[in-house]
Amino acid sequence: MSAWSASGLLIVILSNNPAYRVLVLLAALNFVVAYRRQRTTLRPLLLFVGVGTLISIAVSLLLSHTGAHVLLIVPAAIPVLGGPMTLESALYGVSAGLGISAGAMVVAPLSLVLEPNDLVDTLPAPLHRTGTTLAASLNLIPGISRSLTSVREAQTMRGWRPRGLRSFSQILVPVTLTALENSIQLAETMEARGYGSGPRTRMSRPRLHGVDVLTLACASIAVLAFIAGRFSGAVVDWYPYPTPTWPAVDAVMVAACLLLALPAIARRHD
Amino acid sequence: MTETLSRPAAEGVAAALSTSTATATGVLDALAVFEQLTYTYPGAEQAALSDIDLSLARGLTLVAGDSASGKSSLLRVLNGLVPHFHGGRIRGDALVLGDSVIATPTRRLARKVGFVFQDPETGFVCSTVEKEVAFGAENLGMSDVGRRVEEALDAVGIGQLRGRRLAELSGGERQRVALASVLATEPTMLALDEPTSQLDPGGADAFLTACLSLAVRGTSLVIAEHRLERVLPLAGEIVLMRTGTIGAFGPARDVLSRLPDPPPLVALGRRLGWDPLPLTIEAARVVAPRLARSRDASSDRRAPGEPRWTITSASVGPGAEPVLEGVDIAGYEGEVVVLMGDNGSGKTSLLRAIAGLLPPAGGTVARRAGRVAYLPQDPSALLHRPTVREEVEVTLRRTGSREKAEIVLREFGLLGVAGRYPRDLSGGERQRTAIAAIVAGDPEIVLLDEPTRGMDGTARTTLVKAIQQLRARGSSVVVATHDADLAAHIGDRIIRLENGAARDLGGADAALSGASAAATQIGRLYPGGPVTVEGVLARL
Repeated sequence: MSAWSASGLLIVILSNNPAYRVLVLLAALNFVVAYRRQRTTLRPLLLFVGVGTLISIAVSLLLSHTGAHVLLIVPAAIPVLGGPMTLESALYGVSAGLGISAGAMVVAPLSLVLEPNDLVDTLPAPLHRTGTTLAASLNLIPGISRSLTSVREAQTMRGWRPRGLRSFSQILVPVTLTALENSIQLAETMEARGYGSGPRTRMSRPRLHGVDVLTLACASIAVLAFIAGRFSGAVVDWYPYPTPTWPAVDAVMVAACLLLALPAIARRHD
Repeated sequence: MTETLSRPAAEGVAAALSTSTATATGVLDALAVFEQLTYTYPGAEQAALSDIDLSLARGLTLVAGDSASGKSSLLRVLNGLVPHFHGGRIRGDALVLGDSVIATPTRRLARKVGFVFQDPETGFVCSTVEKEVAFGAENLGMSDVGRRVEEALDAVGIGQLRGRRLAELSGGERQRVALASVLATEPTMLALDEPTSQLDPGGADAFLTACLSLAVRGTSLVIAEHRLERVLPLAGEIVLMRTGTIGAFGPARDVLSRLPDPPPLVALGRRLGWDPLPLTIEAARVVAPRLARSRDASSDRRAPGEPRWTITSASVGPGAEPVLEGVDIAGYEGEVVVLMGDNGSGKTSLLRAIAGLLPPAGGTVARRAGRVAYLPQDPSALLHRPTVREEVEVTLRRTGSREKAEIVLREFGLLGVAGRYPRDLSGGERQRTAIAAIVAGDPEIVLLDEPTRGMDGTARTTLVKAIQQLRARGSSVVVATHDADLAAHIGDRIIRLENGAARDLGGADAALSGASAAATQIGRLYPGGPVTVEGVLARL
């Protein structure tokens, strides 16, 4: 699964063609829906994708004043933002936003599907201790988030109101101290449970099933095809400047992107 | 696996345990021997443990004592966390199962000594039950980890949780996962630091049942606890800690009369001169006197004042699906309402809804104008000032109150630690600091979420007085708690949350009596009668 995410991410980075990015985004969404853990909500992810795209469009529109098709002119007196807002810059923002969204969607399985300890299990033995420490640290993050809510509520009930940056120290200090205390408690527990006492054993070694082999194969073929396409000129980048055009696509590259969707389809039929 | 520990069953197991303990004590070496051990934490002026000379026998040993008396430090010596993890200065030694704790690092002692902490949540390393239980055995390089995990899960009766994520479990289930996690290493001894302090009565009983079955099978247990009524009938020996020294040590029956904060049954026995002191309801029934008929208690209840908050047809819960539905309750000035119910029944959500922190999914929550004081479950969420005094002053300043900080500090017994950093205090003192910090400045509504967590008897008495003063000043107080004795002492009305509904059970005498899981020890001794020691004495 990590290979699948890495492969999808590489494809998104290798080309700014929105057609490929849309295909990767849809394949990743399909993958996440098929593999996500029970009771896992996709709302925050979809919200991130939506807001990320909108911010990208807004930034491009407001800051890039290049392009022939002017939609609106912001008075030049406004620093940085002043100038024409063009269709080309909006389209460039869409392409960049799709890149951010597709990137977020392909790495989402690492948190929505895999447990940190699944990743640790796949690490070679010399990295096991480091991986375990990292996985344990990741487990503290939900606690910090809960602590932030709890502290903000508790201080609000005591009459705290946000007044300038300094006032936030009354939230951040207790959250930081609580996180430190929890980290020390975690370290104490790990010590009491023999962490670092010598070579570790494992309850079970991760075994590859049929669908895992298919996932690995699809991810490898897709990314290799894309790299080959990049060097052979089959992967064509897309720019909306100077005049917007439809993005050109190559059938082999489209097939490579669609390969990323195959594991989820196979899993549904499994 | 039954979810609750029935009293006769508990006593049966206890009898078996005491037999095995007696046999084992006579035949085998001591579990742990402390030799003139003195330990001081880094930066501390006063020793946490002073000249400890102690020999613990195999079986079940209870470590009792006030907050900051040294219970947790003593337990941490048993697996070497003191001194190896915490550092500091140590003199003397302790031999645990034959190993010197000074010469043996914790990670090696972990093969023999398992440790269960008070709050399992902050100690979880993995995110799923099976992985978490396997973690210790994997660390120690043990073979056959899968079998160990299976056996440990079965031993504590949570085999059905094997594939679950820890985040989805209740507090009681998490604590049993923590127990299974140390059992997978098959330790000879288990040290448990207030393991039931955050559990509802059902969860605590299930946890202790699991502990007992281990003890019967030969695992020695050393348990530190504030709330003794569940553990006391099962203990072979008691170590009573007093400001870092051994206040008393010996067979449970010999130490009973010297406990500073005995369970209600023992407290009643002491007041009435019973000998021997009873440890179980059945034993107390033999000697308990008949009580005079009570006057009509309803005549004692004051007519409620004006409503301070009202919840009407409300659906309440932290997520998309409400935990409670159709809630219709109100709180009045000069009244203490106690919310009781299992972990996850919606107590915290209801408090947050009253506070205005959690909008109801349906229905309405109305509050009369005025300040609302809210104590969250974790008192650390409040504490951010360098001294206890400043914590109180911040609230007084923010709320524009003219009340003196000294008065509030005295009310909560905090004058002696007013200049100290709140996070350096014991759990009970921290909790009192947090409560003092929120109730300063005469709030109209006071909402307290599990206020007795980590508190010893003296601190609880102080809290009870403070709540009674808030009531006398006209505040509407709402307390969410598992602590039936606290509810019995302060509750004008008990509201039980179960099966998604809030049921008003009426006054404490009616709600906390009889065979209910929430009943106090005195309430079980006199079904339909008083629920506190003071209540019994008043009717003799």
